Amino acid sequence: MKEWRYVLFASILFGFLTGCGAHRANRNLIVLLPDSDGKSGIITVTTKGGSQIIDRPGYAVEVEDINQPPAAPKPVTEGEITDVFAPALSALPDPVRRVTLFILYFERDSTKLTHKSADLLMEMQRTIKSLNSDEVYLVGHTDLVGTESYNDRLSAKRANYIRDLLISSGIKPNSLFISFYGKARPLVPTRDEVPEPRNRRVEVIIR
Amino acid sequence: MKLSKNRKWSLSLATLFILLCTGGKTSLAYASPTIATVQKMVGTASVLRQGQTISATVGLEIWENDTLRTGSDGSIGVIFNDDTLLSLGPESTLVIDRFLFAPREGKFSIALRMIRGTAAYLSGLIAKLAPDSAHFETPTASIGIRGTKFVVRIEG
Repeated sequence: MKEWRYVLFASILFGFLTGCGAHRANRNLIVLLPDSDGKSGIITVTTKGGSQIIDRPGYAVEVEDINQPPAAPKPVTEGEITDVFAPALSALPDPVRRVTLFILYFERDSTKLTHKSADLLMEMQRTIKSLNSDEVYLVGHTDLVGTESYNDRLSAKRANYIRDLLISSGIKPNSLFISFYGKARPLVPTRDEVPEPRNRRVEVIIR
Repeated sequence: MKLSKNRKWSLSLATLFILLCTGGKTSLAYASPTIATVQKMVGTASVLRQGQTISATVGLEIWENDTLRTGSDGSIGVIFNDDTLLSLGPESTLVIDRFLFAPREGKFSIALRMIRGTAAYLSGLIAKLAPDSAHFETPTASIGIRGTKFVVRIEG
């Protein structure tokens, strides 16, 4: 019977310890950094109490308590970043390009590329040829204007249009894989029937 | 005395049964393919996978649901299949809750959960293809990522 007391005691102790750990506040520091090309994106830090957006590299947000909103972003010096993050940053692998992405955008309700995207075609074809890739995914999408079945067809037409272009430029048909999702997977979520140029696209993923 | 012996037996049988159940479940539910590779390593670092600890080496393949851990002298850097880069400084723990990069199915999603320590992150293709499907959680906050690089520290 004695052993049972030990088991009971151990499980109470275990529950107590883990319970404590879960309730203790963990202080977070989150710093936005510039990408290797000097640009930077945006991060949103959200707690149960609210959220903060960091859109300037070198700015940081601190979180003290899960129930409080994060503090407003403040600049931190390079020295402060190095002090805390040097080991993690030096372990970050060098940027690679094992997968290359092009996103081609279309005019509304058509398979006509925007001028900007038409200008990308040559570069894209060169990339596929120079990588000698035999895995190129063409994924067609539309914005949320119109019915599902109409947009399914439109997104298929867009993907097929790019496929035909690539084949006529000498790329092997059996290296091209087509899929299409109509209005189901917008890049920029909108309400139904909202025209959105950034959603009228074919993603070209080259592996 | 006899009764207590029986109890001991039933206890160990129950434990065995639970272990078998959970062991079987995890190995069946996650037929885990490689989602990332260890690219850099310093000091002590390990991968916790389905209850087993594997010491990390450069080239080690990482699976979905793996936990990355570093010792007091350790750091580790990995490259995911979508070119997302992630590294941990010393005394750090991070769980890869979800990673899905399936261009053919048009499915893209990454969810990392940081438990403690320091980390650096540079987003890859998933953040570009499905910005709302890239998540980085800490014990107190969640970080939404729009194609960028950032560092995180969690103090216990």
